[in-house]
Amino acid sequence: MENNHEVLLKVDHLCQYFRLGRKDLKAVDDVSFEIRKGETFGLVGESGCGKTTTGRSIIKLYNITSGNVYFKGQRIGAGTRAYKDAITNARADAAKKIKLLRAEKDADDARKAEIKEEIKKINEELAETVAKNQALLRDAKSDSKLVDKQYVESLVKSLDEEYAKKFSAAEGDDELLKKLKKEYTNRIRVAKKSKLITQIQMIFQDPIASLDPRMTVRDIIAEGLVINGITDKEYINEKVYEILEMVGLVREHADRYPHEFSGGQRQRIGIARAVIMQPEMIIADEPISALDVSIQAQVINLLNDLRERLGLTIMFIAHDLSVVKYFSDRIGVMYFGKMVELADSDELFKNPLHPYTKSLLSAIPLPDPVYEKQRTRIHYNPIAEHDYSVDTPSFREITPGHFVYCNDAEEKKYKEAVK
Amino acid sequence: MNKEIKISVNDLKISFRTDGGKVQAVRNISFDLYKGETLAIVGESGSGKSVTSKAIMGISAGNAIFEGGEILYDGQDLMRIPEEEMHKLRGDKIAMIFQDPLSALNPIMRIGRQITEAMLLKNKANRKEGRVTFNKTLAEMSDIMKKAVAESGNTSISAAEIDKYIKTFDNFNIQAIKLENSYNESRTAAEEMIAAIEDLLFLTEKNQKVDVASAISVIRRKLKDINDKYFTSKYADSLKGHAAALDSAIRASKKNTGKGAAKNKASAEVVEALEALKQTAKDMVEQPQYNFFRIGYYVYKNPETDLSKMPAEEANELAIKFLNENFMDSFLALVKIAVQYSFNKTIENKKAAIAELENAISFFKAGSFSAKDADATWKRANQSVLAAIDPLAVVKDNVAYTFGGAIEREVDKYFFYIKNNPKEEARFARQTAQREALLAKGKTVDWKIVPKSVIEPEVQIETIVSVLTRVMNKFKADVENALNFDVDKHCIDIIDYLKAKASQVVYTLTKRIAKEKAIKLMEEVGIPEARMRYRQYPFEFSGGMRQRIVIAIALSANPDVLICDEPTTALDVTIQAQILELINRLKREHNLSIIFITHDLGVVANMADRIAVMYAGKIVEYGTAEEVFYNPQHPYTWALLSSMPDLDTNEKLDAIPGTPPNMIYPPVGDAFAERNKYAMEIDFEMQPPMYEVSPTHFAATWLLHPNAPKVEIPKIITERIQRMKERGGNHGE
Repeated sequence: MENNHEVLLKVDHLCQYFRLGRKDLKAVDDVSFEIRKGETFGLVGESGCGKTTTGRSIIKLYNITSGNVYFKGQRIGAGTRAYKDAITNARADAAKKIKLLRAEKDADDARKAEIKEEIKKINEELAETVAKNQALLRDAKSDSKLVDKQYVESLVKSLDEEYAKKFSAAEGDDELLKKLKKEYTNRIRVAKKSKLITQIQMIFQDPIASLDPRMTVRDIIAEGLVINGITDKEYINEKVYEILEMVGLVREHADRYPHEFSGGQRQRIGIARAVIMQPEMIIADEPISALDVSIQAQVINLLNDLRERLGLTIMFIAHDLSVVKYFSDRIGVMYFGKMVELADSDELFKNPLHPYTKSLLSAIPLPDPVYEKQRTRIHYNPIAEHDYSVDTPSFREITPGHFVYCNDAEEKKYKEAVK
Repeated sequence: MNKEIKISVNDLKISFRTDGGKVQAVRNISFDLYKGETLAIVGESGSGKSVTSKAIMGISAGNAIFEGGEILYDGQDLMRIPEEEMHKLRGDKIAMIFQDPLSALNPIMRIGRQITEAMLLKNKANRKEGRVTFNKTLAEMSDIMKKAVAESGNTSISAAEIDKYIKTFDNFNIQAIKLENSYNESRTAAEEMIAAIEDLLFLTEKNQKVDVASAISVIRRKLKDINDKYFTSKYADSLKGHAAALDSAIRASKKNTGKGAAKNKASAEVVEALEALKQTAKDMVEQPQYNFFRIGYYVYKNPETDLSKMPAEEANELAIKFLNENFMDSFLALVKIAVQYSFNKTIENKKAAIAELENAISFFKAGSFSAKDADATWKRANQSVLAAIDPLAVVKDNVAYTFGGAIEREVDKYFFYIKNNPKEEARFARQTAQREALLAKGKTVDWKIVPKSVIEPEVQIETIVSVLTRVMNKFKADVENALNFDVDKHCIDIIDYLKAKASQVVYTLTKRIAKEKAIKLMEEVGIPEARMRYRQYPFEFSGGMRQRIVIAIALSANPDVLICDEPTTALDVTIQAQILELINRLKREHNLSIIFITHDLGVVANMADRIAVMYAGKIVEYGTAEEVFYNPQHPYTWALLSSMPDLDTNEKLDAIPGTPPNMIYPPVGDAFAERNKYAMEIDFEMQPPMYEVSPTHFAATWLLHPNAPKVEIPKIITERIQRMKERGGNHGE
């Protein structure tokens, strides 16, 4: 996994704002990261820092405010707010400049001509910016449609190729040909309905709330397939049984209702529902925090197994740091909507740079009474810790693969610290 | 460590009646909670840890069945005392912090009211109770005095004289109450005025809009209340002076800034005047206390003299001399006779009660009794027990008081469950037949039959006998210790007791004072800007702050024992660390005993002095924190430790396979056997006893049996312990 650098998911300046009266609540503010194929990416932070929102924005449960989300190189999500803001800002700016110029009443003729020229220039510039941003806007809007179109096209193309071979092989055998044709039309219909976003699936935190109490386990797990247009009952059943066994349940469980299961089993159903869509990536949103200690390990082991067997990429959102450390290859730390640190998990725990990460790490309770009695928690006070009045901070790479949210002075300090 | 036992749980057994049958939630657990220590109970959900704590609080669910055992607190069995008695303990002596702070708070009530609610109610109840007890005890004392004097043949004191003494005592106490009441009213007014001034100053300082005129009028009203009352008159002049200064300051500020500005904001002059007023009021509140018990007598005898101008110490001195010479010495002699008489009598009664109890024990032990006989027997026993209670005892003998109710309930339960229930019989027969028919066909049957009765009669008889025995043993001990009885001390105690009860009536807690107390409490648990947040609703607080509020409410009654039921499970790491630090600090400051329930071993390591690991309703391992973490003995503890990753874990986790057993049909042998890699055959057949590893460390596993094969602790744990020891060494253990 180490040497695989193919980027599967790229999140680029993602912002997710919620309207809160007149103001915006910046749940996720300018977060960028990449997830490589086959790795597990852990996202930690205290509750309310926006880790769940990030996950949900990626899977398009929210319409993102601005920024881009690329999956397999395709833009699956784009926010338009930044472009709209740019247009309004440019307009306001231009209007202000023009007003200032026009205010010069006692100018002579030469100056007047100059002013006219300048106003013309400003207007041109404005038109240019507006046009550019509007193009971007259109792009963003059309991309989301185009993505699925392209995905469907590629699916159809590969299906065509596959069946072309099969048809030629079955030449002469009418019955087989008929059967194959039927199969082909079915699969084409399914392919035409599918969307790229189904390649990312989500496991939710609360296994009780996320399962419909009035659906049997079979219905719950098969729902995704049915929505995708698969009507073949037998195929669905086969698939459901296969997945059930994969996640450590048995066939008989398919006809039961969620309330008949224990917490750990319910979470397994949630995992089965995600895995049946054959996704490339799973976003696991605190999948174990509602479970018992002894069951947590079972679910972690299951996710690890699945990752190896199906070659999944997992984005693991949690607040239990020891579990995240155990489970993830790389970890991102979030604080109040910002990503403050991002590094390999070993590196992060060995050399935490951002003061918030340090404070977070110092709060992990360990099963060791002597250590616990000596453990001192580091307090994090952002106002006292940082002085961002002069130069504004950004997300910078301190050592290869280790990013910290800092400004120039801090960057220097961190670089010193790493040496 | 101080080894005074606070709560002792012995052989506790609790089940729940459900549709599917009887769920055995807690099965024979025993532990002690020492004063000032934290006992952590660890286990997964459904292991019975919350059920145990709820039983201690007396808030078990309605379908709970107490099958046996006892929870002793302060000599009382919490499982058997009536609800009224429990009411006095719950929240007051034993408080609880719940898992989810949001559901423990009332969403439509302001935080402040939720904190002060209990304080105010408790104060009201206390005052009522104090008056009743005072009158009752005094009446009893008078009766006993008369009897004692009559029996001793002493003719120097007549019954009329005794009546006169009692009447005097009563009267001057009432006088004292009146004086103290009026003094307290004045004091309360002063305290309220200080609070009002502080409110106004706080708002002014924070530059908030404030209605100065109405605030000042409140302050003036309170000021007026102070001046009229006794024992504060030496401050009256200076208070008047301050009031005049305040008036002129207000006039001046009106002139300077115009009417509108003065209305919304207190000017500098006004603030200065208020500060001075506050200081004087504070001096008044903090002046040495008058001893109203003494002064009451003085004023009762000399109604014309005014002691209020005198400094407190001098007045107290004068009054006590007068009291002792004229009344107290002879009254104490009388009390002494009464106490001795009453004590001797109760010892005799206790001897009779012991015989009666022995009788009852042998009756119940014999079994096969009719309801009528059983009733007659326990009633006789109860009568003798009630007769053996010393009416002049200061510390009420709760065990004896609650004996009747407890035994009645247990006997009723016995007869309720042994009664034949045709419906139940029929169901049982039907299920058995069904199952056998299926088995006869050679099919596998995975369901079991719901047992017929919920309580076994033998166990119930044992419980009845144990209740009887406990009271008997207590009486026996009392009889043995009779020679050590200290009459003089007891006399002083009873007078003090009466005094305390009388003054309990006096102390009125007003809403304003309760508010000040609540704000102090909120500051203590680390809520910034407490005065502002006092008026907010629970939803305006973050999770950690909410949990702090819950802790503040729990602490408002000054409890001895705090039960924390997963207080940090709903919080995230940083907040969790803060709350744990807070609980640890409060434990040190208030010398609390804490029962800490959690499933997170990391949290346990931080908090616990001792740990009890529970599984399927039983304690499987029990020891100090160091012992359980560094030298775990039970396979379940191993499994728990190895199933959670720590920061250095890389290998595959040792998950515990399967799920906890269904407690409707608890396994015959060790409940953990099915999920245990190290299970031996005997684990499936017999429950292991508690083996002693060290005097403080016990574990219930057959692996500790001398004949058991040697089993190594899993590598993942030994490695981790090794790492921990290294780390501990680095810190200079």
